[in-house]
Amino acid sequence: MIRLSGRFRSALIIGLQGIRARKTRTLLSMVSLFLGVLAVVVVQAGASIAERALLADMELQRGIDGTKVMGMAPQPRVSEIIMDTVPGRDDAVAVVGVSAIIGEPGVRPVNPNASPFDEIGFYGMPMVCDATGNCREQTPAEAGPEGQAIEVRLTALTGDIRQFKPFRPKSGQWLDFGSVPSMAPRLVLNEEAAKGFERYRVPAEMRVPGASANMTPQLIGVVDDGDYQPRAYVRMDEMANWIPATKLVDPSMGEMNVLMTGDTPVEQVLTSKLKAINAEPYVELINSRKDQEKELALMRLIFLSMAGLVLLIGVAGILNVGLATVGERVEEFALRRAVGTPRALLAGIVLAETLITGLLTAALAIGVSAAALKGVVVLAGNSEPFLQGVVFPWDAGVAGVIAGLIAGVLGGFVPALRAAGIPIATVMRA
Amino acid sequence: MTALIELNGITKVLKGQEQPRTILDGVGLSVHPGESLAIVGRSGSGKSTLLSVLGLFDRPDQGSYLLDGTEISRLPERRAAKLRSSHFGFVFQRFFLLKHLTAAQNVAMALVNGQGWLPRRQRRAKVMAALEEVGIAHLAKNRPAKMSGGEQQRVAIARALVRQPRILLADEPTGALDTETGTLVIDALQGVTARGCALILVTHDRDHAARMGRILHLNEGVLAEQKVAA
Ligand SMILES: Nc1ncnc2c1ncn2[C@@H]1O[C@H](COP(=O)(O)OP(=O)(O)O)[C@@H](O)[C@H]1O
Ligand SMILES: [Mg+2]
Repeated sequence: MIRLSGRFRSALIIGLQGIRARKTRTLLSMVSLFLGVLAVVVVQAGASIAERALLADMELQRGIDGTKVMGMAPQPRVSEIIMDTVPGRDDAVAVVGVSAIIGEPGVRPVNPNASPFDEIGFYGMPMVCDATGNCREQTPAEAGPEGQAIEVRLTALTGDIRQFKPFRPKSGQWLDFGSVPSMAPRLVLNEEAAKGFERYRVPAEMRVPGASANMTPQLIGVVDDGDYQPRAYVRMDEMANWIPATKLVDPSMGEMNVLMTGDTPVEQVLTSKLKAINAEPYVELINSRKDQEKELALMRLIFLSMAGLVLLIGVAGILNVGLATVGERVEEFALRRAVGTPRALLAGIVLAETLITGLLTAALAIGVSAAALKGVVVLAGNSEPFLQGVVFPWDAGVAGVIAGLIAGVLGGFVPALRAAGIPIATVMRA
Repeated sequence: MTALIELNGITKVLKGQEQPRTILDGVGLSVHPGESLAIVGRSGSGKSTLLSVLGLFDRPDQGSYLLDGTEISRLPERRAAKLRSSHFGFVFQRFFLLKHLTAAQNVAMALVNGQGWLPRRQRRAKVMAALEEVGIAHLAKNRPAKMSGGEQQRVAIARALVRQPRILLADEPTGALDTETGTLVIDALQGVTARGCALILVTHDRDHAARMGRILHLNEGVLAEQKVAA
């Protein structure tokens, strides 16, 4: 152990002396290696940032990893069971979506079927269904004259959904589930809905099918929920003043989900209750990271192999400089062997020099890319929301260091063997 | 008194040419601690080859080599390197100082060789003692480019002495120096015999050879004692 560490220290001391004595050489090696290591760092950083952005979007839309989503067909009896079980719990939130029209009464909304405002008409007209379950599109006549009204997906919540879907606040407030329910339902819009309210001057009157009367909602905030359809979030209990939960059901376009933690007993209770009325729910465990892992890994692999190619060119540069240097140092190495330096240590010295060069290059490449990323974030962060709060990913740093080390080993290996093979008698024939 | 070095029937054949050439032909030699001897002979007679066998740079094709009574002619390279470090010191015609290192660092090179580790302070003490021994401690911080040939060769001798070797091998150490400086260098070399180190000097200079205890003549690969004129 002591001998090993002595060799290690000797290699380090001699390697550093060699680097200091040949600064220009070292610099040349670094230049040839720099682009390769930089490519590795940039690819790794880009992949990590993209993955994080992708994952953040999926968290908004599907829920954070580990969330269980129980989906069921929207029916009054199902709604009843949910309302008996879920409200008041903090490990499960029921999400019931119905369509709602906000604006002038009795008019056709500008975006039928709650289509996005830049794709109006894309979703067609709402469906009307008769008692036998036959459905057809509404005719414009049935829908009424077009007026100042917009249609949103009204999403009623029994609790704070943000523990499962981390909506990003944009302005105003989020729903406060602890306060006394208000008679004027408080709405939090998503960004698409907010766009509608910005574009059209609509009066604050809300129609919900099945409600006893039109409501006067209060808009209290805007969030980014990752959805492209206009949505408005509301407390379930604030809706209850106007429409019983069992009637808050939209058989054609409705959603009825319960989001819950992975280990809550709610799943078991709901499942057995629903089975009893023959309404089999489906349960999905969200695991976005794993779902996209393969795809991302493949993408990363492709880019990393391209970066690896650039790195190889750099390795060729280091190798070239290394061989030339060993050629120049034949006498030094022969002399070192004469004074008792083992061949393995000579190889170690040459490797130490290329490894140190590789590490220096890695440090430089990491520093440059971190600084560049910071610059980009500062300059473009305001216009590109996915750049906000982006920091240099540590795994890109690790990849850079590994790339530097690999380049050092590859570029130093052959010169190291050469150095170890120099005959000592060279010093007598010189 | 057992010999420090005992060579018997050492033969070295140079292959790789049209026909093999015998460079050393059954060389026998014993060397005792503190003894000094000169090896003389014309150019190409095999003096350096003999030193490279003695210094474990190279292996003989035949013969035995006892160091302190132990056979070492077939030692694996790893152990040979260790012995070179612990038992031998070398001085060559050229000085082989590393120009990017100071005199002290050049001497320390023989200590930073992977054979045992000394803390910096002990390294420094040994280096300064070796430089002192050859009379150039005041040049410790100088780089080779700023030193005369004689001074550089004395740095090389300090490098050979810093591990307190039992045998000092010198291959024409004054070949590149003027007479006066050469004499200083031989003084420095001869000084080591006082503490029991054996000195083997290859030289073309009769005066220097005459200062050694014995003179051996190498001719056609055969080593023979030269009669000392009484
Ligand atoms: N590596 C080698 N390649 C070719 N010839 C060599 C080699 N080493 C030694 N010789 C030959 O061996 C002979 C002895 O060389 P050497 O020991 O250097 O003699 P000296 O030191 O007495 O001048 C010379 O003829 C030399 O040419
Ligand atoms: Mg010679």
